[in-house]
Amino acid sequence: MQARRGRRVPSLRALPFLFIVAALLGLLPLLHSHGLQHMLTSEPPYRDPAVLSAIEPGDVTAAPPDVSQEIRPLTNHSSPGHSKPRKAFPVLGIDYTHVRIPFEISLWILLACLMKLGFHVIPSVSNIVPESCLLIVVGLLVGGLIKGVGESPPILKSDIFFLFLLPPIILDAGYFLPLRQFTENLGTILIFAVVGTLWNAFFLGGLMYAVCQISGTGLNHIGLLANLLFGSIISAVDPVAVLAVFEEIHINELLHILVFGESLLNDAVTVVLYHLFEEYANFDQVTVTDIVLGFLSFFVVSLGGVFVGVVYGVIAAFTSRFTSHIRVIEPLFVFLYSYMAYLSAELFHLSGIMALIASGVVMRPYVEANISHKSHTTIKYFLKMWSSVSETLIFIFLGVSTVAGQHYWNWTFVISTLIFCLIARVLGVLGLTWFINKFRIVKLTPKDQFIIAYGGLRGAIAFSLGYLLDYEHFGMRDMFLTAIITVIFFTVFVQGMTIRPLVDLLAVKKKQETKRSINEEIHTQFLDHLLTGIEDICGHYGHHHWKDKLNRFNKKYMKKCLIAGERSKEPQLIAFYHKMEMKQAIELVESGGLGKIPSAISTVSMQNINPKALPVERILPALSKDKEEEIRKILRNNLQKTRQRLRSYNRHTLVADPYEEAWNQMLLRRQKARQLEQKMNNFLTVPSHKLDSPTMSRARIGSDPLAYEPKSDSENLPIITIDPASPQSPESVDLVNEELKGMSRLPPSPEEEEEEGLVMHVKESSSPGTDDVFTPGAGDSPSNQRMMRCLSDPGPRPDPEEGEPFIPKGQ
Amino acid sequence: MRDGLSELPPIRDPQSGADHAGDGLKYDLQGIGALAVNPLGDRIINAFFREGEEFTDFRAFMRVLARFRPVEEGKSKETGYPEPMNSRLSKLQFAFQLYDQDSDGKISRAEMLQVLRLMVGIQVTDEQLACIADRTIQEADQDGDGAISFEEFATSVEKLNIEQRMSLRMLK
Repeated sequence: MQARRGRRVPSLRALPFLFIVAALLGLLPLLHSHGLQHMLTSEPPYRDPAVLSAIEPGDVTAAPPDVSQEIRPLTNHSSPGHSKPRKAFPVLGIDYTHVRIPFEISLWILLACLMKLGFHVIPSVSNIVPESCLLIVVGLLVGGLIKGVGESPPILKSDIFFLFLLPPIILDAGYFLPLRQFTENLGTILIFAVVGTLWNAFFLGGLMYAVCQISGTGLNHIGLLANLLFGSIISAVDPVAVLAVFEEIHINELLHILVFGESLLNDAVTVVLYHLFEEYANFDQVTVTDIVLGFLSFFVVSLGGVFVGVVYGVIAAFTSRFTSHIRVIEPLFVFLYSYMAYLSAELFHLSGIMALIASGVVMRPYVEANISHKSHTTIKYFLKMWSSVSETLIFIFLGVSTVAGQHYWNWTFVISTLIFCLIARVLGVLGLTWFINKFRIVKLTPKDQFIIAYGGLRGAIAFSLGYLLDYEHFGMRDMFLTAIITVIFFTVFVQGMTIRPLVDLLAVKKKQETKRSINEEIHTQFLDHLLTGIEDICGHYGHHHWKDKLNRFNKKYMKKCLIAGERSKEPQLIAFYHKMEMKQAIELVESGGLGKIPSAISTVSMQNINPKALPVERILPALSKDKEEEIRKILRNNLQKTRQRLRSYNRHTLVADPYEEAWNQMLLRRQKARQLEQKMNNFLTVPSHKLDSPTMSRARIGSDPLAYEPKSDSENLPIITIDPASPQSPESVDLVNEELKGMSRLPPSPEEEEEEGLVMHVKESSSPGTDDVFTPGAGDSPSNQRMMRCLSDPGPRPDPEEGEPFIPKGQ
Repeated sequence: MRDGLSELPPIRDPQSGADHAGDGLKYDLQGIGALAVNPLGDRIINAFFREGEEFTDFRAFMRVLARFRPVEEGKSKETGYPEPMNSRLSKLQFAFQLYDQDSDGKISRAEMLQVLRLMVGIQVTDEQLACIADRTIQEADQDGDGAISFEEFATSVEKLNIEQRMSLRMLK
């Protein structure tokens, strides 16, 4: 046993290494050919045909197309009348230029994904070293490899970074932002983001200028404004790095949202400062007007960004209202509108990050109410996937760019930058927390402050901003870049690696993993109402008052416009409850809990009922293992056949998945069973309640708790009915058939119902009244029937005819 | 805007003590528009008044508001002293009382249903609410008596940041 395990392990361990080596080796011939192609195209166009033909068969390059083009003018010389020399028809040819760019991009992304895969297969390393560090190391290796081959490795260009790599990460963060914690701590976050970043920038810039003035360092030529520019680039906390490190340490939500929120909101400050100093760095003076304009510009940039985001968010929510017929492209709307918001903000030099966050936050509640469950899952997974890949690529490219870039190492500059960065951060956090704690209800402890200061990581945004500087105005750009990279490496490696043991050492509260329960939701809303009321009594327009006002405005106007159909009136608590139930039902199906519905129900309730009078519905007993297997086999076979019988595949409509049908039914069944159980308990302990018109009115209004499900065309698709028990026994449920039957039944007249009081209609159907809020399809009949049966006195007066009152009047 | 405090000008003066002229009238509190729209408005108002009384005095009024003062950090836990009015425990007790109208020490299913009905409005059917109420009690109930006692209530809200949620900054 031991020996076998021992032998197996090394081969498993070797696997990721093989992956990595294979990936790296795969790059080599590529680059080799890449290099050779450069060589060829740089040669003069007119060449001896003999030389060309010699090169041709030997090299695995993209030479043939170039060569054939070049041959033509030459051969026109030598043999007029022939356009091309006759050669054998190429059975196999290589044309690399054609696919070069997409091929290389795909290869890089594949490398990133393989790296991620590798790190998770070897858990021991990733426990000590955060993923971001490992990725930078990989980037360094790859960069070194490429350089070793003789190629120049690609540098992380700012365009690619800002336009393609950064948005997915920010959108993912913004769409899933925990709004409640964010708004509760918004004041704190804003102060850290704005004042903190300003302090960092000026403190660092000023000190660096002082350092530069020291003679003997050779840095005298760097002016004050250039230093301030450098300070503003390096002082911003980076959201990518913070996310990458904080995700792994599972710190409590307050600290997470404080540091993360700060990293998001400081973008506006960074943008303004960067542009301001860049404009004026070469003029050694900044006038008062410039400062005032800069101040104004800050407000324009941040509020403008938010405004753009909100506009796009509302448009997206409005669009999603109409997508009920084309569910497949719903996720695209979310992505495209958010990306457009980002690009539009960047167009006007507004803060793109804030636009992206604002649009995600605004559109989310409405979009989620409108789209199908599948689209929601799609959006979630796509965002996670893109942001994950983006993050990996960014770190790898950071490593590669380090190797690739030209560096200018100046000990004084770099070391002093590093030291002053740390000092500035610590002082800033301490000072601001002292100020903020005067206003906070729950103060920030010194432990919290330490984590906030320690979590101020710098990352790729700083690098890209530095890269954007052009050489003619900023000759010391290389030195800046070197210093920036050093700081980034230090924060990511040293701080990233040590933060986890420090968190454990200081016993900082960790994130609680449990899901939100219905209790918490109810109590949270309760407390919100309570506090709003108390605030109203005091006449104090506090936090709760405005939140309440916003909620009311939301309910009254926004929801009506932006949410399709009936869901616009659904209270928040109910939506939450539905979501929870849905999740649980899915979990139940996935864990195979098909046969766990208690059979006690059948014995108690059904005994007293005449089998003949029994309606279509029966109850599933607990199934034995073989029966379960049988069912599964039947399902599998039938479902396969069904798929072939369905309508022709239409790209525009999602064919309703039979599995989703099974899920829905599982959900229904489970809910009914639970309701039934509860009712049974009530019935057994408590005598029958008096239920006359409430019952009827309940039936009338329709109690389908699944109203928000997308209306699947169940009528058109053949539906599989599961009937494990024999038809004679009253013990199997056949909900599906009953759906179809229930819909075709005529409703009894209302006056009749009222007069009879408690009437047990064996086959009850949709209500006579037309104030159905939801279409009473699936769930209505069986639940009502069962409920009515259980809650009434089940004294059996066996009634042979269906449709007659189960219990005669007067009982 | 009419608010509670402006309704009681004569008794805001601490020297005057409790006197009948200008006593806080339940009727006045009910006249506050925002409270009328608040789902829990009636319950909140009733919390200021003792059973069946129509008048309250300044001290009782302040006693309720004192619950909402922010918790003071760093104060050593002095055993033997009565529990301060703004501690987490007192806040929770106040919230519990608002649920538990008949003061039997438990939130029964009927009481939970009442609260849910207040908060959710008229759109939802009784059956749905019953489901939710049952589910809520099922989740919180640890001793299986079908009702939520104070301890169970305290456990189910321990993840909520009660000290922050139930505090008004202006009352410091």
